[in-house]
Amino acid sequence: MLGLTLVLLFVASALFAPMIAPYDPNAMDIPARLSGPTAAHWAGTDQLGRDTFSRLIFGGRVALKIAVIGVSTALSIGLVLGMIAGYGPKWLDNVLLLTFDTVLAFPTIVLALATVALVGPSLELVLIIVIVSTTPGYARMARTATLALKNDEYILAERSLGASTPRILLHHVLPNVVGPLLILAAMDVPVVVTIEAGLSFLGLGVLPPMASWGTILNEGYLVIRDAPFMVVAAGIPLVLTTLGFTFLGESLRDIFDPRMGRGRS
Amino acid sequence: MSAPHLDIRGLSVNFTTPHGPIHALRDVSFAVPKNSIVGIVGESGSGKSTVLWSILGLLSANARITGGEVLFEGRDMLRQTPTALRAARGQDMSVVFQNPMASQIPVLTYGRQMLDILYRKRDISAADKRALAVEMMDRVGIPDPATRIDQYPHHFSGGMRQRAGIAMALLPRPRLLLADEPTTALDVTMEAQVIHLLRDLAAELETTVLVVSHNLGLIAEMCDHVVVMYAGEVVETGPVHQIFHSARHPYTRALLDCDPARITQKLRHLPVIPGTLPDLGAPPQGCIYAPRCTSALPRCATEPPLSQTGEPGHSVRCHAPCDASTAAATTGQTWVAAGPRWVPDTPPLLEVPFLNVRFRTMGPIRARLNGVADPFVDAVLDVGLTVNRGETLGLVGESGSGKTTLGRAILNLTHASAGSVLFEGREVHNLREREFKPLRRDMAMMFQDAIGSLSRRKSVRALITEPFIIHGVKGLDLNAEAARLADLVQLPRSFLSRYPHELSGGQARRVGVARALALNPKLIIADEPTAGLDVSVQGEILNLMTDLQAEKGLSYLLITHNLAVVRHVSDRLAIMYMGRVVEQGDAEAIFARPAHPYTHALVSGVPQPDPDHRSSAPPLRGEVPSLLNRPPGCEFASRCPFAQDKCAKVKPGQTALPDGRTHACHFPMI
Repeated sequence: MLGLTLVLLFVASALFAPMIAPYDPNAMDIPARLSGPTAAHWAGTDQLGRDTFSRLIFGGRVALKIAVIGVSTALSIGLVLGMIAGYGPKWLDNVLLLTFDTVLAFPTIVLALATVALVGPSLELVLIIVIVSTTPGYARMARTATLALKNDEYILAERSLGASTPRILLHHVLPNVVGPLLILAAMDVPVVVTIEAGLSFLGLGVLPPMASWGTILNEGYLVIRDAPFMVVAAGIPLVLTTLGFTFLGESLRDIFDPRMGRGRS
Repeated sequence: MSAPHLDIRGLSVNFTTPHGPIHALRDVSFAVPKNSIVGIVGESGSGKSTVLWSILGLLSANARITGGEVLFEGRDMLRQTPTALRAARGQDMSVVFQNPMASQIPVLTYGRQMLDILYRKRDISAADKRALAVEMMDRVGIPDPATRIDQYPHHFSGGMRQRAGIAMALLPRPRLLLADEPTTALDVTMEAQVIHLLRDLAAELETTVLVVSHNLGLIAEMCDHVVVMYAGEVVETGPVHQIFHSARHPYTRALLDCDPARITQKLRHLPVIPGTLPDLGAPPQGCIYAPRCTSALPRCATEPPLSQTGEPGHSVRCHAPCDASTAAATTGQTWVAAGPRWVPDTPPLLEVPFLNVRFRTMGPIRARLNGVADPFVDAVLDVGLTVNRGETLGLVGESGSGKTTLGRAILNLTHASAGSVLFEGREVHNLREREFKPLRRDMAMMFQDAIGSLSRRKSVRALITEPFIIHGVKGLDLNAEAARLADLVQLPRSFLSRYPHELSGGQARRVGVARALALNPKLIIADEPTAGLDVSVQGEILNLMTDLQAEKGLSYLLITHNLAVVRHVSDRLAIMYMGRVVEQGDAEAIFARPAHPYTHALVSGVPQPDPDHRSSAPPLRGEVPSLLNRPPGCEFASRCPFAQDKCAKVKPGQTALPDGRTHACHFPMI
């Protein structure tokens, strides 16, 4: 319940950012720069006098965008590739598995550094890096689940009825495989948000003046001696979102797992 | 009778569930005399296993004992400290489990596991413990025990594992041995061996045995006393002869009547017990069996009957017990004896001149490296069979005989390496799936696992109408079709919106039949259609299949290991052993005079549910050889009591007999 509340709070604040944020996130107020929390600026201001609270609210939009687009794309691609690897011929399984493992073996930051060096930082690049680095996780999970189902008698029964392979995968394998993947997705959201924040912190992600939790952290880190509160303020939404999605993932796991909930009072 | 060894008095157990408490056991009382073998018999849901786990104090966490006592040698086991209970388990009482595959530790050798069992006996040295273990392995009939004791469970076959399980249970010399369905996971010939082993060892070691089983044959073969349970209550207890010959409770009689092995006349329609088990969340206030009882009186519905004793040691809980002197049927059903059914002069529906299925055992490179010339195992070898229109061919064999593989190969679900399959005269062997698909409308399959063969997240409606969607049948009202099929298999229409896990075994089987029938096939290959079903439900499913056959002119290829069942529903039989058909022909003729010694062993190996006709020795000794080391001569020679020199060297061919049967034996028994 706490998980869902935190997640809804995060989504709502990102969606209705212009209505919630008390200031324009890019409006500068140089005289009031680097203030701590005050009645006017709840989370203080940065070195250009921009309201940190408003910037955090708008930064949530970037995080949400990366989380929703990144995770859902990675989930879909991973699901399809994983089911093909698990159900298809052995050689295809080997090829796909080798690909997944190669990608997984690459540290995300190294991958990011290499690509940014080639094409320069942008939000789209962050998205692509997020998708490439998280897809193999879903694919491996979907593959294992499919492999376990493949020899179940009901799959054989469907074959004996004449069901085609796409039909078996779509109607009879997918519904049984997708549950654990959704849980993984919920737990992956904070990871993805942190990747974005991390890349932006390193200056490899979102470009200034656009607000993102990573860039705010980065800016706060630069002025930590003058305005120590900024780093703290930027960390709070990151912590809350991570907690929220982790709790949500755990309750999803309990709901999807038939051994929990049912049979126990 | 001396003071009972184990005395259960008024035991009541509830299970807490989200839907309220389930009254799993209500006022269960019976006694187990010292050095006797007592059997608890009942169908699933009768609570027979719950009794066993209550004695051991191993009930699941949501169970609550609401009353009664379990006196073992005068001590109440329900009121022992956990330490005292642990000391009693495995010292004074031990268990033989149902599934030896799952109840043994896969990563430890038997020697190690058996030393662990004796850990409380500190005064014995490890070497002596090992000697004891070897001796016990020898006693249960494991050849070369000193070597085999250092092997792991996966080195043992199913029958050998159960023997080892018995050895482990008996190792601490318990005074009470509890056996939970000890033969259910085993084949017929192994079952007979294990029954004899348990019986002989119990007498030899002076152990009291309490065995739980749904198998009336096992109970009749082993037990001195029988406890009949129904829906959490003991309905009748008594000496085995009285229970089997002059049962007084209507349920006991109905149960006995339902057992196909007890019916000597061939019947197309098997007797059943109408109705279903009552809801144990709110059990009826009167007699628990009254709603299904054919001789119920008005007061049965309101007044719970008390236990009354007739003959010494024989008590029954019924208001109007049957007269002990009449042993006739009480179910009030008319039994239709089967006449011969012939469909002459039409070409056979399915003809398999010969078929081979081989599985690869290792990759080509590894085979070359290890010097294996032929890295294959023959699961099905030169099998030929014929199914005529409108007839039932029973395909009988033990596990590993290749019968399921054969069924799947005919349906093109498993690749057959060589051979030919003619369906309505057309060659369909190894067709490509696209070409085979239209044939799937005419050939349907029912799978062994009734619930597991239904896609888990589909409703019954979606499951039984799926064939129409797959084969693109247009212009049908799917809801109407679903209702029609549900009516056809006598499944209440309200079940259409249920999901597989909400079905009982019998209901799931009906869904399987409905789905197989959706497109009006000509042939149904049914793989163990009665596996895992209670005797009364088993009859219902077989009767349904027989009725539908008569109505629609279906042909069945019935794959089973259950000879007692196959006898009543099959026109012809094919007996398989190690991938070969060893005998084929008219079912009655085969049962009357088996030609092949293996068939003979199978037919006589079915435990007779009659305590007066206990077999003196198991019909077959030894085990099925590994398919990897196929003997050069007759496959059965190593176990055959009549084998001669020729059998070990020359492979017998198929020989035809005057009555149309074929067999593969050098020295047939006719």
